Amino acid sequence: MMKPIMRVENLGKKYSLGAREVIAPTLREALVRFVKNTAERFSRGRDTDAQTVWALSGVTFEVYPGEVVGVIGRNGAGKSTLLKILSRITKPTMGLADLYGRTGSLLEVGTGFHPDLTGRENIHLNGAILGMKREEISRKFDEIVAFAEVDRFLDTPVKRYSTGMYLRLAFAVAAHLDPEILLLDEVLTVGDALFQKKCFAKMKEVGREGKTVLFVSHNTASVQHLCGRALYLRNGVLSEEGKPDAVIASYLKDLSESESAGLAC
Amino acid sequence: MIERPSSDSGYSRPDESAGVMVCDPPDVADERSVELFLHAVLPEEPLVKIRPGNSLTKIEFGELWAHRELLYFMMWRDLKVRYRQTILGASWVILQPLLLTLVFAIFLGKLVKVPSDGVPYPIFAYAGLLLWMFLSNAVLSSSYSLVVNAHIITKVYFSRLLIPGAAVGVRLLDLIIASLILVALMFYYGVTLTWSILMLPVFVIQITALALGVGIWTSALNVRYRDVGTMLPILLQLWMFVSPIIYPSSIVPERWRSLYFLNPLAGTVEGFRASLLGLPFDWRSIVISTAITLALLVCSIYAFRRMEESFADDV
Repeated sequence: MMKPIMRVENLGKKYSLGAREVIAPTLREALVRFVKNTAERFSRGRDTDAQTVWALSGVTFEVYPGEVVGVIGRNGAGKSTLLKILSRITKPTMGLADLYGRTGSLLEVGTGFHPDLTGRENIHLNGAILGMKREEISRKFDEIVAFAEVDRFLDTPVKRYSTGMYLRLAFAVAAHLDPEILLLDEVLTVGDALFQKKCFAKMKEVGREGKTVLFVSHNTASVQHLCGRALYLRNGVLSEEGKPDAVIASYLKDLSESESAGLAC
Repeated sequence: MIERPSSDSGYSRPDESAGVMVCDPPDVADERSVELFLHAVLPEEPLVKIRPGNSLTKIEFGELWAHRELLYFMMWRDLKVRYRQTILGASWVILQPLLLTLVFAIFLGKLVKVPSDGVPYPIFAYAGLLLWMFLSNAVLSSSYSLVVNAHIITKVYFSRLLIPGAAVGVRLLDLIIASLILVALMFYYGVTLTWSILMLPVFVIQITALALGVGIWTSALNVRYRDVGTMLPILLQLWMFVSPIIYPSSIVPERWRSLYFLNPLAGTVEGFRASLLGLPFDWRSIVISTAITLALLVCSIYAFRRMEESFADDV
């Protein structure tokens, strides 16, 4: 029997609506509220959670080694929350997830880039933040620079880079990350058409190397292009799972339905 | 619109009829995947277990160690960035305690004639201010460290303790650089070293632990309560005046001493100065300050770990 490399069971995340109202902004508020809440709890017995929202609930799926799985859904469907939980940035409210491999996550291009540091310095810093070893960064340095096509500006602070150059450099570092499981959030939409093509090629290569990829995107074309399987999240619930074509079709159907519903209003 | 789960049990399974194939293996007919499954050797136990709540209150020293390179890179970044676009650069590290010493030496040393346990007042004050500047800067910069690095916290996972840790680490380098002036002053005033100097690293470690203890705690509190950041400068100033930085603890009346030395900084600074200038050690105060410092550090790491899981949601 084949074992999954990622097992997600009944995963859920509850957020407080208007965090500022639930989490006291100041220490004094917190004390006042603590007293008030305790008193209320005594009088009402249980606190209600009308003020909360489930960004993700009861999500269950498995991913097998070497799979490239796409996660699609509208804004606020819980895609990013799912990735944040899997990359351990935030904790789930319920459920569990087990990862049987080294995990790298890429929730944003250029995390930790510092505008005052040069391209060279940022490659090292960003690599370390993404979880690369120092030796690994040095080894891949030339490759990264070549990929990003910024060799002439290596010793220029990145605040003087054009947006395109900045994104290319950031993607280049990330693309050379070498984990067994890669969690990606909408990162392929950087740079011009030519660079995007290069990114796609790189992503395909990652897939061919047998890495497991969970890839979140609005872009149905890229999911179709890269993924062997797709998950469709709707309102925090996993509503469909299967071949990308079928899943994307029902996603698009939902989209056009809500669009026409919106127009009817 | 996002809905609450519909079932009363607190969670809902995805709708099975909607074509969900929870355990369906991928297409094994694909030649590439067959090969992969044969080669993929997965560990028995998951490398990462994600569970709700507070299952990780224990300190993950292994994880901290695995991230040591990141600690280095974060310190290196802070150092690089701090002196970008400054004219005087790293000499600020020396100028800060030096200017303070100058002012205190003139007004307190010369005019008020504050006693200094028989050593020249400038060197007495510089030794104290050196430690004080380290502690105060380390606590201030680590208390803001999580807030300042919010963009990283919300995007990547690593042991969060590294962030306030790196902030303290950078200030420790400052301390070492600023000590060069201390060496020069000792030459100038002809202070001879004694065997007591061997105790010096102990006090440096102790004040680092104290800075970590306070800095880690305030950094976590500052994520949720920004009051901490506002309150801290004034609290630090008060702390300086209740510690033997610009005056010796010997001017504190005997009967208040045991209370006075409950401030862990008092024993540490006195010990540091004693080992540097060859004065007698007050072992009782050293033991007390060590114990309090360690207790504080342990409590603060524990508090940090408890608050850590909600950093990404709160910051």
